[in-house]
Amino acid sequence: MNTTSMLSLMLPEIIVALTGGLIIVLDLIWPAAEDSGPDSQPWLAYTGVLGLLLAAASVLSLSGQDATLFEGIILIDPLGAFFKMLFIGIAILVLLLSVGALKTFTKWSAEFYALIVWCTLGHMLLASAGELFTIFLALQLTSLPLIVLIGYAKQDPISGEAALKYLLMVMVSTAVLLYGMSLIYGSLGTSTISEIGTKLAEMNTIGPVVALGLVLLLTGFAFKITAAPFHYWVPDVYEGAPNPVTAFLSVGSKFAGFALALRIIVTGLQVEMNWHLILGLMAALSMTLGNLGAIRQTNIKRMLAYSGIAQAGYLLVGLAALSQEGVGALLFYASAYLFANLAAFGVIIVFATATKSTSIERFSGLSKRSPLLALALAIALLSLGGLPLMAGFMAKFYVFLYAVKAGLVWLVAFGVVNSVISLYYYLRVVWIVYVAEGDPGEIRVPLGAGVAISICVAGVLVLGLYPEPMMQAAQFAASALFGGQ
Amino acid sequence: MTNVPVLSIIALTPTVAALLIALFGRSPKVPRWIALVAATVCLSSAAYVYATYDRTAGGLQFMESVPWIPSIGASYTLGVDGISVPMLMLMGLVMFTGVLVSWDVTLRPREFFVLLLLLVTGVFGVFVAVDAFLLFFLYEMAVLPMFLLIAIWGSTRKDYSAMKLTLFLFAGSALLIIAMGLIYWKVGAGTFDLRVWSDYTFSPEFQKWVFLITFVGFGALIPIWPLHTWSPDGHVAAPTAVSMMHAGVLLKLGAYGVIRFGLTLFPSAIETWGPLIAIIGVINVVYGAMCAMNQKDMKYVLGYSSVSHMGYVILGIAMANSYSLEGAVFQMFAHGIMTALFFALIGYVYESSHTRQIADISGLMRQTPLVAAGFVIAGAASMGLPSTSGFVAELLVYIGIIQESPALAAVAFVGVVITAAYLVRMLGKILLGEPSEAIAQISDARPVRVAPMIILALTIMLVGIFPASMYQTIQSGLAPLLAKLAGG
Amino acid sequence: MTLPQILAFTILVPLAGGVLIAIIPRSLARWARPVAITVSGLTLAMATYLWVSFDGTSSDMQFELIHDWVPGIGTSFHVGVDGLSMPMVFLTALLTVVAIVASSKIKDLVREYFTLLLLLEAGLMGVFVALDMILFYVFWEVVLIPMFFLINIWGGPRRNYAAVKFFIYTLAGSLAMLGGIIALYLSTGAVTFDMLELATDAASLSAATQTAIFVAIAFALAIKVPIVPFHTWLPDAHVEAPTAVSVLLAGVLLKMGSYGFLRLGPQLLPEGFRALVPVISVLAVISIVYGAAVALMQTDLKKLVAYSSVSHMGYVMLGIAAGTTAGVLGASVQMFSHGLIAGMSFLLVGALYERAHTREMGAFGGIAKVTPVLAGTLVFASFASAGLPGMSGFIGEFLVILGSFEPYTWFAALAGLAVVLTAGYLLWMLRRVVFGQLNEERAAMPEMTLTEAIALAPLCIGTIVVGIFPQTLVGTMQASIEAVARIVGR
Repeated sequence: MNTTSMLSLMLPEIIVALTGGLIIVLDLIWPAAEDSGPDSQPWLAYTGVLGLLLAAASVLSLSGQDATLFEGIILIDPLGAFFKMLFIGIAILVLLLSVGALKTFTKWSAEFYALIVWCTLGHMLLASAGELFTIFLALQLTSLPLIVLIGYAKQDPISGEAALKYLLMVMVSTAVLLYGMSLIYGSLGTSTISEIGTKLAEMNTIGPVVALGLVLLLTGFAFKITAAPFHYWVPDVYEGAPNPVTAFLSVGSKFAGFALALRIIVTGLQVEMNWHLILGLMAALSMTLGNLGAIRQTNIKRMLAYSGIAQAGYLLVGLAALSQEGVGALLFYASAYLFANLAAFGVIIVFATATKSTSIERFSGLSKRSPLLALALAIALLSLGGLPLMAGFMAKFYVFLYAVKAGLVWLVAFGVVNSVISLYYYLRVVWIVYVAEGDPGEIRVPLGAGVAISICVAGVLVLGLYPEPMMQAAQFAASALFGGQ
Repeated sequence: MTNVPVLSIIALTPTVAALLIALFGRSPKVPRWIALVAATVCLSSAAYVYATYDRTAGGLQFMESVPWIPSIGASYTLGVDGISVPMLMLMGLVMFTGVLVSWDVTLRPREFFVLLLLLVTGVFGVFVAVDAFLLFFLYEMAVLPMFLLIAIWGSTRKDYSAMKLTLFLFAGSALLIIAMGLIYWKVGAGTFDLRVWSDYTFSPEFQKWVFLITFVGFGALIPIWPLHTWSPDGHVAAPTAVSMMHAGVLLKLGAYGVIRFGLTLFPSAIETWGPLIAIIGVINVVYGAMCAMNQKDMKYVLGYSSVSHMGYVILGIAMANSYSLEGAVFQMFAHGIMTALFFALIGYVYESSHTRQIADISGLMRQTPLVAAGFVIAGAASMGLPSTSGFVAELLVYIGIIQESPALAAVAFVGVVITAAYLVRMLGKILLGEPSEAIAQISDARPVRVAPMIILALTIMLVGIFPASMYQTIQSGLAPLLAKLAGG
Repeated sequence: MTLPQILAFTILVPLAGGVLIAIIPRSLARWARPVAITVSGLTLAMATYLWVSFDGTSSDMQFELIHDWVPGIGTSFHVGVDGLSMPMVFLTALLTVVAIVASSKIKDLVREYFTLLLLLEAGLMGVFVALDMILFYVFWEVVLIPMFFLINIWGGPRRNYAAVKFFIYTLAGSLAMLGGIIALYLSTGAVTFDMLELATDAASLSAATQTAIFVAIAFALAIKVPIVPFHTWLPDAHVEAPTAVSVLLAGVLLKMGSYGFLRLGPQLLPEGFRALVPVISVLAVISIVYGAAVALMQTDLKKLVAYSSVSHMGYVMLGIAAGTTAGVLGASVQMFSHGLIAGMSFLLVGALYERAHTREMGAFGGIAKVTPVLAGTLVFASFASAGLPGMSGFIGEFLVILGSFEPYTWFAALAGLAVVLTAGYLLWMLRRVVFGQLNEERAAMPEMTLTEAIALAPLCIGTIVVGIFPQTLVGTMQASIEAVARIVGR
């Protein structure tokens, strides 16, 4: 493979990297003015958005490619492309949402934008990683910016505390992952995922060492995807982090974990382990603990944190099916979750910027203060709950459908019961927004945030009514994992 | 075969109207007029379908089909047969009268009518859907509007009732996902088309268990005892038009689902579960009636009365013979109209008097003769007195029950006597005597409010005195199912 | 217009009239009674015409009209009359006119009152002419609501209790009847509710089935008649109901029950009828004696008449139970006669109540001195009730006793003795009310008014005519009753 084609295959990552750099450079040339209104250097953010759009275009132009670089260390396939699109989308939306919100907790806006962009780069690399130690490196590449981002609100003690907790989580999960990787490498003698897969297929029985290695890998990822029982860091970190960072975490970091988990576990399928049970139990636990935890929350960020744990559970159901269709459903669910969650967080960001509060009670009467915000929040939460017209319904239906096909009726029953439980706390917020009486005063929605929220809401509704194209894309991406069946 | 997609018109006009209201409904008067236009379109289309449906040919007619999600085989397929046609008429009438009853809503009328129309779309859609995914989609779609309609515009204990209702209904429908998934893969044809599904022969074991899931899932909505507790509270808390729709049509969705899904797909399961379902039906009838006896609030009386009357539908399903099923579907229609009328009347009285306590009201006959007459007709229909549609429905159900088990019929009759007792007591108290203080200001309804009462009362009597056409429709609709039950 | 159509109109005209009165505006309420009189008069004219055109020599159904109703389950709008029902049709029409004339004092909710009265008439008519079981049941039930409101709005102090009791009691019985009807429908296997068609099918059912079905149906009938011990609703309903309503209640409603026994028993379920007859005969005699005995103890005039109705209907049931031509004939004559006599009695009691505002016998005394015409009519009515020869009551009771002598000798004897009891309480009543010392409070009592006279006249005349020329009535009934007796087999 010659240099040019290699570069062209890596074009998206290169563009993203350069975009981050560009932001920093532009800030050096034109630093922020002292008081420039509520928005923080919006042009930097928009530059970032443009760069990311360019990167997205390049991902699309490369789609359909199936190639490996550096002998399997980097995989360029539809699955990777799907995730890259998701990550880029997340970054664009978070940038748009951050513009009006940064002033409340920091003046280092350029760095913020750049960190978001570079973190995204890390995620993209994770999605294309084809080899264990590359994964490890890429994980560090994402964790570091995230720690900084989480602690960005320097004057707020809980932000620092959250950053510390996240650091601890990263350290523990990394240690576990590393241990698992070394066990696998030590036993099989290779760290390239595809080769691991071939080697495992050849073996009649795997020894306890490899099994342990795989379980440890899974555990490591479980931290990142916020699955139970490794979810305890989530509520505090989500609450403490600045709002745009929480938004970013809730989808970006989670999906990165899933990308990894997909690659590893599907390869590990060659192995006779009761994956159905393990994954199923993890899914059931996540759903249950997540939903039960959410019920008692009074802070909307913590509520969405627990909700995110539960949603991880639903995503895991798709994985537990261990079929191409199941994975396709998982990918569709991810896209639905992206739009819904970012819409919700978008509303929270705008609301918190205006009222300095994320307490659920303060949302009372939002429908009178800003009908658009209220509607967006309602649509987002109801999508998470799984009501029709919204993407969440389609997503849950797909995941449950393919889980049934795989014979996991018990898991679907869990999922169904949990959906009902979750509807309670989602509806409660909708109720507070629409029925309860609250503070007066209109809430202004900044342009960038408004655009971002609208895109997300539109996404929720389009996927909810006409999911076919996205379904096809997801299934196509999943096929890459299963050898293009 | 008609080229005009009548069924889509019926199902989608409310959605279009909702959109129009959302965009242009700033002025308080506009939403209700748009809603009325939509209601007129829907009612006349439903009437058109009812009139032109070919009863001798039977089967699904007015079909439309457009692919929707090919990757799982879900399509936008609509069609009606003799079972759904009466339901269309019912919904058309309840929608039309519901809009008129809501004419004077002053609190956030725009949101009110948008939500009402979304609810209507969901309900209409369920009745015309031939694709199981579409049916399920629309079934769940109706959940959220109910929540907000009760939570914002409701009365007694509205927040509690709204949440309880929504969670119960959602739980019921959530259970159905499991059933649908199991059926989908069992049939293995990669489609959700109910026609394909009903042609497939499932194993007796499969039929038995999936029927149970389906029955419980849809049954929560009927509502079967003991899953009924959401219903009386929901009846009471909801604003009038929503109560009309709730009791009048929503409950019927559950029964419709059991017949369309449960019985049609799994005919042999009724042999196993028939006795249990019959017992549930009897409990509904008697327990519901006895609870109604004890109520002091008119709407609670109606709420428990609905539980009781739906018991006849459940019994009809349990007996699973031609008369009982025809009676069950007839009762779905008859009870729907009757209860809508009751709620319209009670709502009207409540608006003026701000009380629904039976003890506070008397002498309506002197103050508002028209409303009083409406109460009499509704009461007669509820008791199943002849010349009302309620009589025809109950007659058919009785024939069906006696055919299988005279003892059960005796118990059902007890239910009727108790029903008569509480209705006579309630109506005697509120209609006769001197006008009480609470209703001293009430005047007889003006045209826009009287029209719905007249429409519903007339329907009750017309169908009661000339039931032949409705009966034939239902009979033709049930024919395939009955053939399956007999053969299977 | 053909005769069958006229028959259908005897139902439809009152119905339309009732609806018409309901929609006239409140300001024109004073026209309600005239319209009602016109409508009921028209109905009476039609009934008279039909009777005159009736062929008494034939036992077949005449003036039949049949129209599909719900072909799917086999019910149709099938009406017709025979010797059993023709007199009842006339009686209904006549008593309705009388009742409306006698309702001159109603001032409250006038339109509603006459609407309900006409709806009641339509329902009563329907019961007597229906030849389809469902249609029969429909009209049977249709009577309930007008009756409930008539008692509950214009009635006496305990009207709510009386009306609810009447309603629930009757409804419960009706449901039993419905169960029986459905059981019959299902047992015969033929998809029809038509009485004439079922008559041939049902005869082939086993005796046990027929008995079970007939027992169920008989519940409703027994409550209606009323036969002891199902009579407890009657005294309250009668006493609380306004005068005109009592006239129709006692005059026609009770006959629905006995008519039902004749129509649904022998021809439809002969074995069941025969099996039940011994029980009925016992209960009938109890009714006769018990009714008379309790009437003896009454101090309230209306209650006395009410219990005397129980007693008189006992004769009807005894005659039916006997099953002989004479017995059934007597029963039918008694049905018609009691209609007239009870009508008179209630009108008179009502007249007294209007004047004294009490019905206690103690409030009266010696009114013959003050209001001779009124008193005289009361005497006339009492003698008619006692069964004085020359009046219709005698014919009925005589034939019943004669006809039941053979099958139930002892019962017939008892019934005969009870005549003495009847005479007893009636004469005693007369002594206390009409004769004897003039009660001071009644010294200024007004005489019978023209309206009252007009209402009473046809009844008095009818009593005499049937009493002296029974053939007018018997001639119509004879052929049909002979057919019934033949089936019962005595």
